[in-house]
Amino acid sequence: MVDLESRLVNCFATVFPDLTPPEIPSVSMGSLASWDSVAGVTLLSVIEEEFSLGIPPDDVSGLVSFELILDYLRRTQNDARA
Amino acid sequence: MKLAEALKVVQSTPHDAPGLQVALLCSFTPLHLETFLRAHLCKLFPGHSPTVQTGLYGDLIGNLQRVVGVSAAVVVIEWCDLDPRLGLRRLGGWEPSQLPDILSEVKRNCDLLHNGMAAVARDIPLIACFPTLPLVPVSFSPLARASEFTLELRSFVASLGATLSHVPGVRIVDSQRLDGLPSSRRLNVNYDLSAGFPYTLTHASALAEVLARLVLNPQPKKGLITDLDDTLWRGILGDVGVQGISWDLENHSQIHALYQQLLRSLGASGTLIAVASKNDRSLVEQAFTNRDLILRETDIFPFEVHWDAKSESVKRILGAWNILADDVVCVDDSPMDLAEIKAVHPAAECLLFPRENPQAAYELLERLRDLFGKDTISQEDCVRAASLRANAELRNGMDQVSPSVSGEFLRQTDGRLTLSSRKQPLDSRSLELVNKTNQFNLNGRRFQETDWQDWLNGPGAVFVVASYRDKYGPLGKIAVIAGDLLNSDSSGKRKLCVRTWVMSCRAFSRLIEYECLRWLFTKLDIEELEFDFLPTPRNTPMQDFLQQLRNAPPKPQCHLSRAQFMRNCPPLVHSVEESPNG
Repeated sequence: MVDLESRLVNCFATVFPDLTPPEIPSVSMGSLASWDSVAGVTLLSVIEEEFSLGIPPDDVSGLVSFELILDYLRRTQNDARA
Repeated sequence: MKLAEALKVVQSTPHDAPGLQVALLCSFTPLHLETFLRAHLCKLFPGHSPTVQTGLYGDLIGNLQRVVGVSAAVVVIEWCDLDPRLGLRRLGGWEPSQLPDILSEVKRNCDLLHNGMAAVARDIPLIACFPTLPLVPVSFSPLARASEFTLELRSFVASLGATLSHVPGVRIVDSQRLDGLPSSRRLNVNYDLSAGFPYTLTHASALAEVLARLVLNPQPKKGLITDLDDTLWRGILGDVGVQGISWDLENHSQIHALYQQLLRSLGASGTLIAVASKNDRSLVEQAFTNRDLILRETDIFPFEVHWDAKSESVKRILGAWNILADDVVCVDDSPMDLAEIKAVHPAAECLLFPRENPQAAYELLERLRDLFGKDTISQEDCVRAASLRANAELRNGMDQVSPSVSGEFLRQTDGRLTLSSRKQPLDSRSLELVNKTNQFNLNGRRFQETDWQDWLNGPGAVFVVASYRDKYGPLGKIAVIAGDLLNSDSSGKRKLCVRTWVMSCRAFSRLIEYECLRWLFTKLDIEELEFDFLPTPRNTPMQDFLQQLRNAPPKPQCHLSRAQFMRNCPPLVHSVEESPNG
């Protein structure tokens, strides 16, 4: 799980290079001005690429913060194991 | 390239590097294609900071009309640009009764796109890519069967491509280069419906790489040096004799015939072909005389056939061609010989001929075509090998007469110089000369096509290209001078600051360089030339020339007055004319 979190931090760092690693776990679309719609699509594409998954359109609207995305990835991975 | 890697490449480009503005024109959301294109441009244009300018969603024709201030334009057309009903985001109906109307709309849009792209290509290089995505299931026939509708649709697009391919400045993506990825894995329905971006990341990256390569438009290699035994033909000549070597289906050596055929084609397209072989010279002569090779003896210059090291042969061939090792490709079946060449000439591209593996040998043929590929075949390409031979003949003639009578000898050669100052459309041969010439080169500066074109389009830029022919045959375009016209500070009289001046070594010993300067003084009505000179390890002929004219060693920003030139210029005997094309 730690690995999953650090990989997600890397995804955020790639799309938002101005963020420092300690800042990343607390960011959300509301708190980060550069997280606009294009950055959001780019971020989700980088995450899909990194974790080899496809995020269904219905799930996209809820993925608006680091924490929510991390929860989503944990759930997805647990579902895959089950 | 992965998207994350592309983002990192873009972010790591220094912002203070010279810019390179490229327009990406499409009607879908450019999104990741823009990122990948920028990343691939960053990799192909090191030292530049590329930026990608995009247009409005859903308005490809308008985007073409609004292009301004860029060095190149990349146009990506998908089916929905030809008719929105061929995309996923618009619902115009797929009923059979609508198919004729779709065809009419596609034809109309093909005409509009042709006009729009041809207009853009008048000013800047334009790279065009035609639909890469699978057609939507609009036709009533099963997908495995090509319907009349889909065939006609594709014929419109093919016709648009064929027509545009004749327009100078247009480069069209060969869809075969993208075939590594099946069309079924190119379309991302999810992205298209949610964000208006229709490509999978894999396809976007592959397409962007091809597009960036066409923006770069690399200069082709100039010469190919080939081995003979188990390369040009199958068999060791010294072992099996002249009748034992083969290049045919019957002896399972057809791949060598294909290699010969490719070399012959390259030679006819302006590539210099030489032989470097450890062999018995008389046997090789017999093979070329008595056997009907596809690659003829006359296609090859020079032959280096002896038992010395291959690197020595390569050195002599480079001398005969007067080019550098980084301009040549050496093909040999011996890894050891290739390693020996590479050790002495590290810049040479050394490729193994895989004699036991026709599949790999075929891939080598494709690689060679790519390394020597060019936009067009110029007049110079057609005469290059012949003029090298003729030049050797001329030099022999010059060597046999005393200096006092060499002027008369030159008069008898009936030299004719044609000068043109036309800047558009971009002349790729001129840029090739600037980027490949080493000896008679003012400063050794090289240019990317985009930088070169931007400079020449600027105010006050002067550009002259010289072509030459004499009784030994045409040499084609052999010299390029480019500079900026300025007013002198003190006298108010005009001067030309020469920033680039190159002349092919094939044109040496004919006083063409003097004739070019005389023309500049007269035609531009200038009193002084300023040379943006820099010494390089190879430009001794330029240094000697400037020293002779100025009676002083050349230095950066050195000057030459009209009076100085007239004092030191030898009698000139050429007939000079200006090209009717300007």
